[in-house]
This record gives sequence, C-alpha cells and structure tokens, in this order.
Amino acid sequence: MDSLPDATLFQLVSSSALQGLLDKIVGPKTLVLSPSLAGPLGLVTEVGLLKNQHGVTKMFWLEPGALSQAERNIVYLCRPEVKWMKMIAGQPNRVLPAPNAHMYHLLVVPRMTTLCTSTLSELGVLGSIDVQEFQLGLIPLEKDLLSLEYEDVYRKLFLEGDYAPVYDMGKALMTIQRAFGLIPRIIGKGDQAKRLTDLLHRLRKELPLASPSSTPLANGTIDSMIVLDRQADMVTPLCTQLTYEGLVDEVIGIRNSHVDVDPNLLNPAPAASTSTPSASNFAAVPKKKKHLLSSSDSLFSELRDKNFAVVGSILNRTARRLNDDYERRHQAKTPAELRQFVGQLGGLQNEHQSLRLHTGLTEQIMAVTATDEFNTALEVQQNLIAGVDLPAQENSIRDLINQEAPLRTVLRLLCLYSVISGGLKPKVMEEFKREILQTYGFHHVPLLLSLHSLSLLTRSTPQKSPFSLARKPLRLVVDDVDEQDPTDISYVFSGYAPLSVRLVQAAITPASGGAGNGARANGSGGGGGNGSQLNGWKAVEEVLRPLPGLTFEDWQKEDESPHSRPPAHHQVPTTIVCFLGGVTYAEIAALRFLNKQTPGRNLLIVTTSCVQGSSLLTSLQPEATRASA
Amino acid sequence: MAQAPASASWEPLGETFYRKQDIYSMQWSISDLSDFIVAGAPWGGPLAMIRDDRKPVLLGRHAIGKPKISVYSSAGGLLQTISWDPPTRIVSLGWTHSESLVVLTQDGTYRLYSLSTGSAPPSYTQHSLGPDAQEAGVIEAKIYEEGMVALLGNLSFVEVKGWQKSSGEGGVGGKVTLLASAGLNEPPSCWCVIPPELSHTRGVEVLIGSGATVLRLDEIDVQDQRITRGPFLSITPSPNGRFLSLLSHPSGSSPQLWVTSADFTRSLSEFDLGGEGEVGAPGQVVWCGNNTVVVAWERTVVMVGPFGETLKYFYSDPVFLVGETDGTRIISNEACEFLQIVPQSSQDVFRPGSASPSAILFEAAELFEKRSPKADEYIRNIKTELVAAVDTCIDAAGRELEVVWQKKLLRAATFGKTFLDLYNPNDFVRMTQTLRVLNAARFYEIGIPLTYDQYQAHPPSHLIARLTSRSQHLLSLRISSFLSLSPAPVLKHWAQSRITTLTSTSTPSEEDSMCLSIVEKLKDQVDVSCADVAQTAWSVGQTGLATKLLDHEVRGEKQVPLLLSMKEDEVALRKAIESGDPNLVYTVLLHLKRSHALGDFFRYVDNKPDASSLLQVYAKENDVEMLRDFYYQDDRRKETACLALEESLGVEDVAERVAKVKAAAKSFGEDKDCSFEAKMIEDQLRLLTFQQSLEQEASGKTFIGLSVNDTIRACILAGLSKKADKVKSDFKVPDKRFWYIKLKSLITLRDWEGLEAFARSKKSPIGYEPWVEHLVSTGNHRQAVGFIARCETRNRVELYVRTGSGCWRGRSVLGRRRGGSCCDDLKSRAPNAIIAAQLDQLIGEMDQAGM
Repeated sequence: MDSLPDATLFQLVSSSALQGLLDKIVGPKTLVLSPSLAGPLGLVTEVGLLKNQHGVTKMFWLEPGALSQAERNIVYLCRPEVKWMKMIAGQPNRVLPAPNAHMYHLLVVPRMTTLCTSTLSELGVLGSIDVQEFQLGLIPLEKDLLSLEYEDVYRKLFLEGDYAPVYDMGKALMTIQRAFGLIPRIIGKGDQAKRLTDLLHRLRKELPLASPSSTPLANGTIDSMIVLDRQADMVTPLCTQLTYEGLVDEVIGIRNSHVDVDPNLLNPAPAASTSTPSASNFAAVPKKKKHLLSSSDSLFSELRDKNFAVVGSILNRTARRLNDDYERRHQAKTPAELRQFVGQLGGLQNEHQSLRLHTGLTEQIMAVTATDEFNTALEVQQNLIAGVDLPAQENSIRDLINQEAPLRTVLRLLCLYSVISGGLKPKVMEEFKREILQTYGFHHVPLLLSLHSLSLLTRSTPQKSPFSLARKPLRLVVDDVDEQDPTDISYVFSGYAPLSVRLVQAAITPASGGAGNGARANGSGGGGGNGSQLNGWKAVEEVLRPLPGLTFEDWQKEDESPHSRPPAHHQVPTTIVCFLGGVTYAEIAALRFLNKQTPGRNLLIVTTSCVQGSSLLTSLQPEATRASA
Repeated sequence: MAQAPASASWEPLGETFYRKQDIYSMQWSISDLSDFIVAGAPWGGPLAMIRDDRKPVLLGRHAIGKPKISVYSSAGGLLQTISWDPPTRIVSLGWTHSESLVVLTQDGTYRLYSLSTGSAPPSYTQHSLGPDAQEAGVIEAKIYEEGMVALLGNLSFVEVKGWQKSSGEGGVGGKVTLLASAGLNEPPSCWCVIPPELSHTRGVEVLIGSGATVLRLDEIDVQDQRITRGPFLSITPSPNGRFLSLLSHPSGSSPQLWVTSADFTRSLSEFDLGGEGEVGAPGQVVWCGNNTVVVAWERTVVMVGPFGETLKYFYSDPVFLVGETDGTRIISNEACEFLQIVPQSSQDVFRPGSASPSAILFEAAELFEKRSPKADEYIRNIKTELVAAVDTCIDAAGRELEVVWQKKLLRAATFGKTFLDLYNPNDFVRMTQTLRVLNAARFYEIGIPLTYDQYQAHPPSHLIARLTSRSQHLLSLRISSFLSLSPAPVLKHWAQSRITTLTSTSTPSEEDSMCLSIVEKLKDQVDVSCADVAQTAWSVGQTGLATKLLDHEVRGEKQVPLLLSMKEDEVALRKAIESGDPNLVYTVLLHLKRSHALGDFFRYVDNKPDASSLLQVYAKENDVEMLRDFYYQDDRRKETACLALEESLGVEDVAERVAKVKAAAKSFGEDKDCSFEAKMIEDQLRLLTFQQSLEQEASGKTFIGLSVNDTIRACILAGLSKKADKVKSDFKVPDKRFWYIKLKSLITLRDWEGLEAFARSKKSPIGYEPWVEHLVSTGNHRQAVGFIARCETRNRVELYVRTGSGCWRGRSVLGRRRGGSCCDDLKSRAPNAIIAAQLDQLIGEMDQAGM
C-alpha cells in the first residue's frame, strides 16, 4: 500500500482552502450551511476547528425563513443549486432588523454557475453578496476510496441527462493528474464514462498539466484508469449486500461515512468523531447520534469487508480476547506491571467501546436478517443470479407484494428479474405493474416509467440478456464459497461475484490469465511482474459489448517535454477504478479483496458517491413521494 | 585614456553627495515648457502635455486649431498625439500605474488612454465621477498611480479607487466614493493626496490647506491638524508618505519651506527661500528621494537638504520637475536630467580619498589593466574584506547610468572574484542581467530612464508591459525570454495591435493569413488565448477574423460568451455542448431564453440531446410552465402526463387534483405506447371518485389519496366491510392480497370474532400460517394458538414454539413428525428455558417410545 497515491492530500487541500476563504473574511462570522453539505464538509474539516480558530461563532442550517441572530459577517455555504439561491436571496431582504449592518458572503461548492448568478441577480441581491468558490473536489473516505459525495448522481446522469457530475469529476481527476502525473491509459464502459474521458482530453488541452516549473508531487504512479458507468452493471447494486458494511448501509444507512446510531451504543465515552455542526445550535436535537465509520476503528476495519456470516464469530472472539486482556489485571502484581496495565487501559476501553457499537449494530441487522421477508427476498435474489427456476421467483415476488413488503424490496427484485432475464413478458409486466400501483399507490406511475427508460424494467426481447451471456465466461456465480476464508471476490454476495468487479479483474489481470481465469484462487494470476501493462478489455470484449453503453480503450500521451518523469520502476503502479453513478460497499469490499490478490498493482477507487439499490431507486422518485415508499 | 573621475559631477551637501546627470538631450522641438500643462509619469515614464490655454499665445508659435495632447517619452520622442475633440475643458492630466493617461474634464468624466503608438487612433475608455460631479463640475484633481481624488465645484471630494481591471479592455472604471465633507466655504488654497498604500489608515487621505491650518480628510472623517503657520501654497508628501513639505508665503516676507512629519508632530526643518532663487514663490515643489526637497521657479532649481543646505541650478528656459522615489527628473526643453543622492555603494567606491575596500579593489583593477604589479599588493591589503568589496562594486555598477562606469565596476568585481575561493556568483550574474535590461530600456529611442532602485520596485513583468504598450514587441519578447518569463502578455498585445492595423476592407485571404500567423504564435501559450485576441478583433469590427480566431480557441468559457455577444447563437450553443461544461450550456440557454421567443428558443435545442436534457432539468426546477410548453411542442405526451401527475401530488383541493389526474390520463391516452398507463390512471380516477363518496359517508375519515390496498384497509377499519369488498371486486384485487389486508386489519381492530368468521368464510388462499404469524408478531399469542391446528402439519411444531404454548399440544402433532433431530433444532431456537426443558422432556419420551 506504500505507493498508493496519498489521498489524504486532498483532505488537506480542501480543509486549508476552506479555512483560507474564511480567514479572508475579517471578524466574527455566522456560518449558514445547507444541510446536504454538512456531511461532506465534516469529512474534510472539523467544526470545532472552524469555531476556535477561524472566527465562526454561530452556525445555522440554511432553511427558508429568518435568521434569528447573526454576526456582522454572514457566510452561506452551499452547492450551486437554485433552491439555495432563492433561500439566500430571501434572507437579506426581510430577515434581520438592520439588513445593512451585515456583510453577506456566499461560498459555493465547488463553483458558481450561471444559473445561480442569474437567480441571485433576478432576485436583486447579487450586488450585496460577495460570492466565492470553495473548490471541494474529491473527498477521501479512506485511503483507497475517494468520493465526490454528490447526491442522486445516478438519476441525474442516466435518467435526466444532467452531466454536471461528470464535469465535476473531470475537474477532480485533473487535480489528481496534476498531483500524481498524467494517467496514460484509460479504459471504460458506458456512455458517461466515454464522456468523462473525452472531457479529460479536452480539459488537458485547455489547461496543460505541467507548467514548466511544477513537477508532480508523485509518491505514487497512476498508470491507468478504468471508468465504469453504474448503468453498465445494475445487477450488483440491486442485490442485497452481504458484507458487514454493506448490510449496515442496507439496514441502517450510511451517509457520508456516518451512521446514525442509538446514543446508548456510544456511551459512556463520547463519540470519537461527530462532525456535523454541534446539535446544540440547531433547533431540533436529533435523537440518534452520527458516528463516523472509518478504518481508524480497528475492529470495524477488520469487520467491514467480511461476509456478515462471520461477523458474529469475530465479535465473539474479540469479546473473549478483550476479556482476557482485562483479566490480566489480576496477574499484575508489582506496581510496574500495574502501571503497564493502566497504560493499556485507554486502548482497551476504546476497543470495548467499539465492540459495544458493532455488537449493537449487528443485533439491529440480525433483527432484519431473521425476518421471513428478508430471507425470501435473498432467496429470490440468489436464484435469479444463478438463473434457477425463474417462474418460481416470479411467484415469490408476487407473494411479497401480497404481503405488502416495502416497495423498494419488491422493485429491487423485480428490476433484478427484468435485467437478468432480459425483460418480462408483456402480460406479466402489466400484471406486476398493476399489483404495484394498487398496493403502493398510483402515484408511482412516473417511477415505473423511469425504470422503463433506464432499462431496469422492460418488456422481454428475443435476445439473451447481457447478464446471462456474461454469467459463464466471467464466472459470476461461484458455488463453493468459503465465507470464513474466502478465495474469491464472490464471497461478498455469498456466491455472486459482482459483475463490475469481475470486469475490473479481467482488465487488470495480465494477458496470460484471461477472463475465464480471472477468479483464480490466491491471486497467483494477478501476481505478474511490477509495472506490467494493463490487460484492458481484450479478454472480455465479447461479454462487454452487449452491456449498455460504449466500450472504449484510450491513451493520453505525455507531452514531448523534456521534463517528463522517469518511469519509477520500483513503484507498484496504481489503477484508478472510477464509478460514475455510485459504488456499493460490497463492490468496494470485493475490489479491496482483489487488490490483496494482485500484489503487482494497487487499486484506488474513485466514485461520485456510495450507493445501494434502495437509495438508487429512491433517488428516481419525485421528492414528494419518497417518504411513502 | 584620460577620463574625468566618476565623482566629477558630484556636489557635496552636508555630509553626503548629490549628483545631477544628463540622461537625454531632448528630441522634441519645444521652446518653452511654460506654455504647457505637463503631467509626468513616475518610474521614468512618459510626459503628457497640452497647451495651457490660460496663457496668451505668441503668434506663430503654435498651430491654431483643436487642442491636442502630446505624449512624449522622457527622451522627448513623440509617442502619441491625441486630438481632443470634446468641448469640455480638461481639468487634470495624470498617469496610472500601468501608464494609462488619465484625462479628467470639467464635467466629471474621465478617459483612460492606453499608451499606443502607430497609426491606429488612440483607444480609450470613458468613465464618470458620478452625478454629483456632473452637476457641480470638477475644479481640480490629483491623480496618483492607483486612483485619484477630485475636488468638485460644491467643494466636496470624491475618490476613485483603482482604475479598472486591465487597461484597454472596456470594463468599468474604478469605484467612486464620496469622502467625508470637509466643511469648506471656499476652494482651499492647496491640497494634496496621500495614496492609500502610504497612508496611516490604509485608506486615501486628503490634506487640505484651509486658512492657517491643514485639514486631514478621509472617507469617514475630517480632522483639523491645528496648525497656525498657513496659509499654505502647496503641500507635498514625500514618496514614502512619511514627510510633508509645505510652502507658505507670508505677506511681507519671503516664501518659507517647512518640512514636517506626516502627522505634524515633528517639525524637521524650516527654510527661508528668500534670496535663493527668483523673486516670488516657486512654482513647483518636488521631493528628491525621501530626504531632500527640490523647488523650482521658472528658470531656477534649488535643492534644499535636510539641514537647510542648498544646491542651486540655473537654466536658460523653464523647467519641469518629475519626482521619483530616489531622485528628481528635471525636464528642460533641451535635456532630461536626473538629480539624486549619490548611492552609498558609489560613494564607497568613488568618493575622493575613499579608503574603503571597494575603492581599493576598484583601484587595483585599474592598476591591473595598466599591468601594474601594485594591483596584487592592493588586493592583499584588503584580502579579508574582499567579499564585501566585490559586492559593493557590483551594487555600484547597478547604480551607474553610464555604461562605461558599469563596465569598469563589473570588471573590478570580476577581478576581485578571482581572488576568492568560494564566491556565490548569483548576485553578479543577476546584476549583469539586470543591467542589460536597464540599458536596453534607457536607450534613447525607448526613453525609459529607469534606475536600478526603480526597477527593483516592481516585478520585471511591469517593465515588459510598459515596453509592450510602446509597441516594442521584439524587445519585450527578447527581455521576456532573457529573464525566462512567459511571453504571453507580449504576444497578446502584439496580436491585438496587429489586428488594429487591418483595414475595414480587408479581404478574407488577408484575414486568413493574419489569423494563421496569430494562431501560429499563440499556439503553445498557456496564459493567452485566441479568445482574448478575437475579442479585440470583434471590438474593432473585424467580425470575420474574430470568428476565425475563435475557432482556434480551446477554452469554452472564453469562447462561448464572446460568440454570444457576436450573436453567433447557434455556434455558441454547439461549442458550449462540445466543451462538456454544463454551466456553459446554461449560459447559452439563459441567454437564448431571454433574447428569443419561446418557439425559436426551443428550436435551438432541437436535435441536441445534451442541451435538451439540461433545459428540462432547469425548467423542472425553475419554470414548470416552460417545461409544459416544451413537452407540448415536442409532442412528448408521456412526459406531459408525468408532469401533471407529479403536480397533482402537491394539490390540496380535491377537484383540482382530480383535474390534474384527468389531464394526465388524457395525455397518456394520446401516446400510443402508454395505453396501459392511461388505463391505470383511469383506475386512479375511479378510485378517487369512490374515495370522495367514502369520505362523505364516513365523515372525519381520510380516504382520498390512499392506494387501493390502503382504501380496503381503511374501509375495514372504519367498519365498512361491504365497501372493502366492493373495492376488491371493482379493482379486481386478487384474493391473496385481499386476505392479507383483511387479516391484518382485523387483527389491528382486535376483532377476534370477525377474524374467526373471516377464517371460516372459505378456505384461506394464503393458508393459515400468516394468521399465526401476524397474531404472534402483534403479541396475541393466545388467539394465535387457535389457528395452528388449521396450518399445514409440518409447520405446526415450529408455530407452537413461536406461540410459546405448552408442549402438550406439540406432542399431539409430533407423533407424525419425522424425528427427534428436528426437535433438537427447535430446542436451540426455543424462546425460553421452560420450553426448552419441555422439549427436552419430549425428546426423551420419544426416545423411549423408540421412535
């Protein structure tokens, strides 16, 4: 992992950029923050720091209506969305007793847009607000995972055709290239992936990477990038994730690496990190506390990518070990031994704390996984993946509707069914749609239409579905899975190897291997020599073509400048795996596993956000109907 | 070779020396400077002159006609002539930091002329001091590098902060601020401005001589400095802003010069000018550096040192003084001279009788040239101080204006260097480099007599910009590459000035060749883009060339706005899409929406899927009405319907809601691919109507907006079981689903009799397991047990366990079970110890029975 590009660099850059912007505004300030930005912001900077060192005295959510009180400087922080502009424009005019006594500043993340400028100017406040841009790009969630943390990207990209996230991703990748050097090889699958690559070429022409003086801060070599549209593999996110972190996300929900937990699970010690603005300043005190899930918690980093089946035993083992460690106090006889024990006590308490948390989360998950509904759904899912007895699965889904299982569960399975089987017979389709509309409400008509236009719920065609064509050659279904000691990425779905990750695996495995061997145990296939070239799509062309979206392989050529970097032979090259539209935690787990199997190459995951099937489906619904699903 | 020593022109003043050097003999043919109003730019900058129309004209001396402003270099070379057309009188001339000429007229407008040579008419931008100035008129203004302060006819002062972003490219003028009221009743006898960067408050300060005292004025406040020495004829701040020299002329005595600290707390010197020069008060007071003041009458220049010593110079014609940070330029009709304190390093080397190491080193080098062995002896004498001596020689070389002395000093430094084992040559290299640049700039055809200190006060790019604006492109380029600076600004200016040479009747082939030559030069430049040049072409009316140049622009954000202002809407939209930047597409879309009728606007996005998507995203959030129109003209019935459905959700009023849904049904009906959806929405309408009638029947209950399932549920909960059945049959709800709903509803009602009756009504299509499960999960174990007997046999044991009922019931069914292993399994899942024990017992019994 040593030569993995240092992702924390981005955190540092972002946080100092924000502090710099705030410091430019002289005097005490009131920070008004759009709620959706709190999470991403919390990942790059600490609120306490802003308060203590940068003159932020008060913080509020950006909401319609009046600010009750404010300092001389009011700093708004939000994404460039028109709704925020309208809210902001509403405030200076009618809010405070003496509107002129305040200085208004707006920090837009990541950049100001014409739409926002014209909105502000139509509302007549553009002149009185000082607008600055806060270029928050990729946020490091872990050292191998960078995310833009955008919301609803899947809908924007693939349903609405709003390609703003691709542009921002392009800009962010330019930043990566400025820091770590040009990425010579780019391969990808999907129309938006192609758009991203074209954009990179164009941006490079606009802004040459290296002005003569600057040299890359390279402590890692990125020699290639694999860009995947989420749309290229929708089977994987539609499946219920079975890794620990994946299930935490499915059952409890992870937002911006934070999970809402019962405060009892965090007591007695306060949470290691609560990075939303402190609750005391906000009207509603949330009952649940936000807790950062990161690899700084050693127990979590052990658990996160494990199949849920083994989580219990790990927790059990940890509990036992912890108990033994505590027991050692009885063996401590001499004062020196006692002192040593007391010294370890803090660490033990932290571990204890973390054990309490994860046991609690596990219990919550178990409560769900024990239900008939969950198990039925899982059974249907696994059968669909394996292509076993499809009509029976149809009936099971029908039963779930009859029992009024949540709409998302039903739709996930139905879409999975449609995608895997290549569509539903018109009659069956209409029947399901009618059932769904009657059970969950007629207002879901647009949602069903959206699913249709995303090819997630379609009428059957004579061709075999791309998924079923890929099943064999890519070894997507693996029967003998050892969840305890996995030898293949298929462990993350207990027998299904995520299509997206198999594609990555095929692309990075040196040519000798080939797609069929992609899943070779112990990574002997991936252990090729250092700096070996990316195999690319060669081996999987046949499988790849029928999947939705363009397939491409591309090169970016170094300038013929004399100061190009000498190739670093001693370094393990890094491949960026970039997901447009989101990545699931199960896929992340699989990629990490793949990375371990491939000593000759590092993987760095870059994504627009972390998603799961339900969140994708929810994002397709109009906001008004989301709650009811 | 006999040459006068370098110190020949030095004159002692107190403990130090001053020198006045001829720099240029003027190329102009002006015989009397006093006929003109002159504005000299500091940093060796140009001189702007306009004939002083308050003075009588000597016949034949000047051409009669329109007034004109002539701009000369310091060497008297004519750079530019601006014929002054506007009828309003010019109040002030001055220079900005970037050497733009500021011309302020009486009516409160000012123009900024960027320095331009060549045949093209001078380019300028015009700005206003605001309505106040327009009304009251401007009396006088003080122009400094970063702004100006004007005294208006109503005796108020306005400040212009900064000029504009970059000279020559339109834009807005500086920000105009009204300063605090000084409370004057009559125009002040004199006033001066301390620029913001020099003032104590970091804001502009105006010092006003009012009666015997001085007022200090800034944006917020006015302060009386409580002086009694006035009235003053002039107040002049020193270059660093820390001192003031005030000139007064008490009646009945000779003029007095008073030098004080800027806050008037320390009086530094007072000097009686009587008898020093001509009769009367001097016309100009200028600082020479920060420690001496130069006063000038028409033909006499007197320098007053800090301790009252003077140096006098006499001229045969009127002179004009330009103050510099390190000296004073004296302009006469014949020559340009520079008066300055002799720099310390020069004094070290050249002061008569100096025994400093640098002087000895210099001497040694001279001797070495003469092949005298003494050279070695000299060097050995100063061996220990040789490094300092070399440094001093290098420094002194920089401060000499004459190349001969520069060379001698550098040679001395080189000579000294050879005796040093370790000497860092960076300073030496840098100095030789700098001198080459300076000498090039000082060359009389260029005419920028920049001293070393003045050069150091700015980054080298400033000098390059100044040379560029004089159209010295080749020299600028060479200096740029000599100093390894980006040639971009020079190239940009070059391209722009080339374009202005094109005539309006240029042929396309001329345009092509020019476009090609410009693109060729700009190709590899990062900081300059074709769009900047195209902008110029567009602004001078070369539309064809502008379009061609823009085609070579790679940066969309530069290209698109210009295309829009050129009304190339279609191209702009295409380029915006190509750029991949949605923001640019929005820029174009907003522009098109504003400037076109809706129909035409929509036509632009036809066949452009990217633009069309973005338009919809925009409209959905900001302009639903437009979105509807868009869908309508594009025949998108499905989208229209969905829009109506989404809108229906937010509507409170039922009738309106029904209307929206009806509209959706109609739109779906018009789309042949949406017949199913149309049917569904008709079902929805039916349901809504039914729900309305339900609400009337069961007042206080809400039905509207519920799904079919929820309507059935609500009916049962409200005791309208018949209605529930009607919904079932009306909407063809399958039996299974209906049974689940009814089952759950009855349990919610705890209607056990109803439940029993329902169970008996016919054979359950969903089996009886759900009965038990739902009863158990709602905590009704007792009721649940009753239904177990009706369940499938193989499920009964497990269900019993789940109800937690005793195993005696279990036994009755267990006889037919497969064996004990399943009991073990059950035991492990037993909800409590009692049941586990009972199961144990059961297993024991079975074993005994030999099963």
